Amino acid sequence: MIVGGLEIDPAGAACAFATVAATVSVLYWMLHPPQSKADIAAKAAESQLRRTMATTIVVFSSEIRSEHMMVLAARLARGSKTELMAVYVIEVPFTLPTQAPMEDEDRVALDTLAAAQQIAKNHGVDVRTEILHHRFTTQAVLELAKRETADLIVIGSFREGGYSGAPLGRTIEAIAASAKCDVLIGVEGKHGTLLGEEFAQAGDDANANPTPNVT
Amino acid sequence: MSAPQKQEQLRRSVTPWGSYSWGYADVGADIFVALGLVFGAAAGATNVAFLFAGLVYVCVGLAYTELAAAYPVAGGGQYFVMRGLGDLPGFLAGWAVLLDFTIDITLFAWGTVGYLSHLPWLNGLDASGHPILHFWVIFALIAGLALLNVRGVRESSAFNGIVSAFDVVSELSILFFGFLFAFKPELLVHSMQFGWPTSFALMNGISLAIISFVGLESISHAAEETHRPASIVPRTSVALILTILIFALAYSNLALGMLPSHPVPLDASGHAQMFWHFLGTVGNQDKAVAVLASNIPLFGSIAALYVPVLGAVLLLISSNSGVFGSSRIAYSMSQFQLLPSLFERVHKKYKTPMVSILTFCGLAVIELVFAAFQGDKGYEFLGDLYAFGAAASYTLVFVALIALRLRDPLTPRAFKIPGNFKVKYRGEVCEIPLLGIVGFAGIFTILIFVLLTHQIGRIAGPSWLILGFLIYIVYRRKKGLPVFGSVRRDWTADQVKILRDAGELELMDELVQKLKVRGRTPGGAP
Repeated sequence: MIVGGLEIDPAGAACAFATVAATVSVLYWMLHPPQSKADIAAKAAESQLRRTMATTIVVFSSEIRSEHMMVLAARLARGSKTELMAVYVIEVPFTLPTQAPMEDEDRVALDTLAAAQQIAKNHGVDVRTEILHHRFTTQAVLELAKRETADLIVIGSFREGGYSGAPLGRTIEAIAASAKCDVLIGVEGKHGTLLGEEFAQAGDDANANPTPNVT
Repeated sequence: MSAPQKQEQLRRSVTPWGSYSWGYADVGADIFVALGLVFGAAAGATNVAFLFAGLVYVCVGLAYTELAAAYPVAGGGQYFVMRGLGDLPGFLAGWAVLLDFTIDITLFAWGTVGYLSHLPWLNGLDASGHPILHFWVIFALIAGLALLNVRGVRESSAFNGIVSAFDVVSELSILFFGFLFAFKPELLVHSMQFGWPTSFALMNGISLAIISFVGLESISHAAEETHRPASIVPRTSVALILTILIFALAYSNLALGMLPSHPVPLDASGHAQMFWHFLGTVGNQDKAVAVLASNIPLFGSIAALYVPVLGAVLLLISSNSGVFGSSRIAYSMSQFQLLPSLFERVHKKYKTPMVSILTFCGLAVIELVFAAFQGDKGYEFLGDLYAFGAAASYTLVFVALIALRLRDPLTPRAFKIPGNFKVKYRGEVCEIPLLGIVGFAGIFTILIFVLLTHQIGRIAGPSWLILGFLIYIVYRRKKGLPVFGSVRRDWTADQVKILRDAGELELMDELVQKLKVRGRTPGGAP
């Protein structure tokens, strides 16, 4: 057989293809080892996380600081099919009608959501934004989650950080308790330290007085 | 409550390709060195020499695979032999490997210069044309590698991975286009009939062909840093064994049946010569793959430009692995009190084993001086010693494999050499590997070939072992340690720890369970 002026021997061609096929097969086999239990568990967790994050809502309000969680959500959403949404909830006092204009609050919400969009852009993901006016933040978030059929609600820390009987803040705890989907809460900085100290204190108390007082 | 102590450990981050490329950067370079040497010795039976050595190498590779998967620690052959046979055999195996690593430094630095000299603008580096310049360039390379290693600079796994991938593609291209455009089966038959060597030359060729398969130690060393070594190392080892075997057999058969694109020059006496004969001449021995590649029709014009550079890079990496490997083995040996603790000392600033690096690079320079005095035979001299070191250490590894099957039957083996028969030893049913016995016979035969056919190797090789033995006696006596006996160690507890550290928790559970059934604790106490 003559190709391009060169005589090719069929045996030579067979050796050429056999050499390449044998080497490629060996390398392919090597690069595909059987999965260990850990591999299977890790893969299952990955796919569960993908399902969990299909539609993700990041919640902001005047009381809830979620910028760091927005970064986390954007990082997790990168390279996946996650639909990301950032929502700012403005609580409307009972002294005003629900549709009353609240320009100062709206302005803060716009700034916050612009920052959220920038975070998403920095990580190469798209984000939808929405400002909600509602009497109760908890109810607004739960209704939005229902409307969007959200798979995950992401919330940062309670802005005030003071102890009010609910370590994470009443609003956050109420959302976590009532949501029909997964909730990811990120407690940052001093707030987290305070919580840690509270738990440590609780532990010490329990050790010092192992039998609880019953009245 | 105090904070938990941080324990320094090697990171288990080497992937399957990383593990493969660690071995490939070492073993893959061997064919660049061995092809010309084996053609020079075995002539028309070069493919047979590679086949024989290759079959032995498959057995060696399987033995290393089983041992590296069962004992994923950095010591390699030295550790396996010490564990299976005791301190003195462990020392001799390690000392033979050290000979190989120091030769590796010189031989591969020599090969680096040889391949570079194939480039038109670096012809002046050729050994036969300018021996003094050639010597000083190799010396500078060894000194440079020593300095880099003392400073702690080492080629990264990523760099190894890229060079290995490029080399695999390149070698496949050479073989593919070579077979496609230049291979004539009738020429192969003619070459084998016309150029069949004497028995002595064939034995010499076989003993040199084992050089193509030296470097499996690297995968064993990488085992300590490989993720899930018991599962990954057997795959990468077997893949490496098969790839190198395919390349060695393909190159030798291609060269024997190849019709080159350029006319073959006349030999020294003015007679016409075959292409394979031309590859085995002194002037081409240290750059045979580049010469072969540049003689492939069409593809050769491209290959002539990059194959010498690629060969030089791969050989330099391999030379560097000699520097790194020798210091690592010496470090491991001194930790097990087989060598003075001097070799454990690290540089204050760079935290590298400076004494080991400088000692073994110094030995490599001495070997270079000896090789340079051999004139045209210098490259062969290094090849002889390399073959001796490999055959000696591989022989001991086979004995260790069988000994460990008898003395440590409880350690789970994620990979086991196929073909075993059962025997009862000290109340335990043990499996003896038939292929291990065949491999031992094969490598021992090659060791005999080395001693019979290599005039220098049969004197210099055993002299190296005797020198090491004397050092060992002096050191062990000074320390009050047994010379022929072994220091007591709790291997069972060590093995549990090794498996736990390797992340092979299922294997660890299996071992602990076996120990419990026999009423023993992992600490060794009943």
